Amino acid sequence: MSVAWQQSTHGVLRRQEKVNRTLMTTFVVITVLVAALGLLYLGLVASSAHLSSDIWHMHSEMAEIQRESSRLETEIARLSSIPVLQARSVALGYQAAESIEYVDSIEVGAP
Amino acid sequence: MIRGPEARLRLVTALLIAALLPVIGQLVRLQILDRDRYQAEVDELVMRPYALPLPPDGTIRDRNGDLLVGNIPIYSVGAQIDLITDTQIAAAVLAPLLDLDEGALLEKFVIREDEEDLRWVWHRLAHGIRGDNAEAIKKLKESWDWLTLEPTWQRFYPEAELASHTLGFVNADGNGYGIEASQFHLLQPRPAAGMGEVDVLRVPLSEELAKGKLRAFAGTDITLTIDRTIQAFVEGELDKALELYGASGGTILVMNPQTGEILASASYPDYNPSLYSTYDVSEQGRFVDPAVSVVYEPGSVFKMFTVAAALDSGSVTQDWSYYDSGLIEYGGVLVRNSDGAGHGQQNLQGVIDHSLNVGVATLTTQHIGADVFADYVLRFGFGRPTNVGLFGEAAGLVHLPWDLNWSDGYLVTNAFGQGIAVTPIQIATAASALANHGTMMKPRLITERRTPEGRVVVIPPKVAGQPVSAETADYVVGLMEHAVETTIVKAQVPGYRIAGKTGTAQIPVSGGYDPVEVITSFIGFGPLPDPQLLILVKLDRPQVDLSVRWGTQTAAPVFNLVASRLFVLLGIPPTEPIDP
Repeated sequence: MSVAWQQSTHGVLRRQEKVNRTLMTTFVVITVLVAALGLLYLGLVASSAHLSSDIWHMHSEMAEIQRESSRLETEIARLSSIPVLQARSVALGYQAAESIEYVDSIEVGAP
Repeated sequence: MIRGPEARLRLVTALLIAALLPVIGQLVRLQILDRDRYQAEVDELVMRPYALPLPPDGTIRDRNGDLLVGNIPIYSVGAQIDLITDTQIAAAVLAPLLDLDEGALLEKFVIREDEEDLRWVWHRLAHGIRGDNAEAIKKLKESWDWLTLEPTWQRFYPEAELASHTLGFVNADGNGYGIEASQFHLLQPRPAAGMGEVDVLRVPLSEELAKGKLRAFAGTDITLTIDRTIQAFVEGELDKALELYGASGGTILVMNPQTGEILASASYPDYNPSLYSTYDVSEQGRFVDPAVSVVYEPGSVFKMFTVAAALDSGSVTQDWSYYDSGLIEYGGVLVRNSDGAGHGQQNLQGVIDHSLNVGVATLTTQHIGADVFADYVLRFGFGRPTNVGLFGEAAGLVHLPWDLNWSDGYLVTNAFGQGIAVTPIQIATAASALANHGTMMKPRLITERRTPEGRVVVIPPKVAGQPVSAETADYVVGLMEHAVETTIVKAQVPGYRIAGKTGTAQIPVSGGYDPVEVITSFIGFGPLPDPQLLILVKLDRPQVDLSVRWGTQTAAPVFNLVASRLFVLLGIPPTEPIDP
């Protein structure tokens, strides 16, 4: 039997088996880590897509609220415009003041 | 030499590495070397131009925050025709909401021959749908996914014709006038458009929006110096005056001489800015603001500047006097007083009280001189725009001694406001210098700008110049106050010290002046000694009896009505006792 064979079947082989086991453990750990990172990545992508969708909806809602706000603002302006107020005040029987009289106010109790 | 399992293991490892190398090589090629090419191919497939919904234009408000120009959302309604299951029902339901005939709507639902091969067919059904109809269509869209609503904006003027000339309008290209045109670059929104990942309907994908590459901004909001209550009142008084005196047009300007703020600017003819596109071509003349873009010869109103120039330049002193024979000839021009009479010995007060053409012509021709007078005309801002902030402002027309077309006769006629063309805003601004103790404020219409980011930019008052000294200004104001107290009594406002000057100007026509038609005007301010209100009333071609076709008889009473009410509206109490 050759020296090599003896080495491979005795001490050397055992050492190699030990090394292989370490490699396997490392491989498994790395695989688990990669899988975990992959899952994390997928989760983040899914979450990001969901958030993006929410953002789009919020964009749409914001635009709709802005439109509604502008519509209401113009409606308020129309209802409180001078011609409308004048017509309303006439309907309520108000009249323009004929004359204005200013009264001097004297501070009561002043020395 | 190694044999056995170890050798096989090495061989397999080498083979695996050898097999992996091309894969790595390809990855390097795809991801690094040819990256741009493949990125371009991907972009070609998924990247398309898209735009975010357009935000509204900036609003325009009056000085109290009341909305003068706003925006209302309107919608373009369309339909993906190939997806409509029952066109009859769709037409019956939609026709009244789109304000369309049912038959006409059914025609829009027909797929044309040239569209038969298309994957999907979209037709626009109506544009400008708003209010309750738009809301109803939005609800229908929940069940009819073939309906499309594209939002956009339309300018809205809640006060209709109010301040129409000041506000103006603008078309899609930015052409127009008024504040809308002059501030177009600020009022218009900043749209957001670019390339990105979109779906089949060109709607950006959520991921694309999340990148936040595009941001749209609404237009800048503008606050004016105009007070809508004063504006409405002044417009009403102008309408009444035009009817009472049969004038073809007119302008009333209300200004704070201490700040240059324009509180109201009313001119007739006016129009409704919401309907500007419906006016006939022959009515395009309405779209010019007479207060800033139309020039006229101011007439005797100009005498206050002539007297101020004479005093301020030191050409005459306050005790100057002359003998008024009723006419003066200079440079080939013969000038008479408006009443044709001679007034004997007169001083500066007499010149203003009786509005003597001969008196001011004597001042310019015998004392001030052409160069000095021209200098003062320019100092008061005539011959150049006031830069009030409105599009299309006219510069006016002044004749200067160094002009090629100068004639000595201009020195005579310019003295009493003829042969010189000004805009109402110019004459009001110049008069404000006298009212404000010689300091002329730049007239302004904008008091504040608010950017979409919320930044507020306040526009402060700005001095436009000091054409005359405070002493000169106050003395001339004193002369004008005396004129109101003695000869322009219809301009008097009980309880308030008022200074003012009338003008009755002939209208230049081809070959001379119209023998009958005039422009009457009055500029007054008060309460003295620190006027807070300056009012210019100008009436074009009043059709009243010739004997009362004067500024004193037409424009001055209008000033009285406007000033009396505005003092109350602005809370300016009387400064003098009022006789019961």
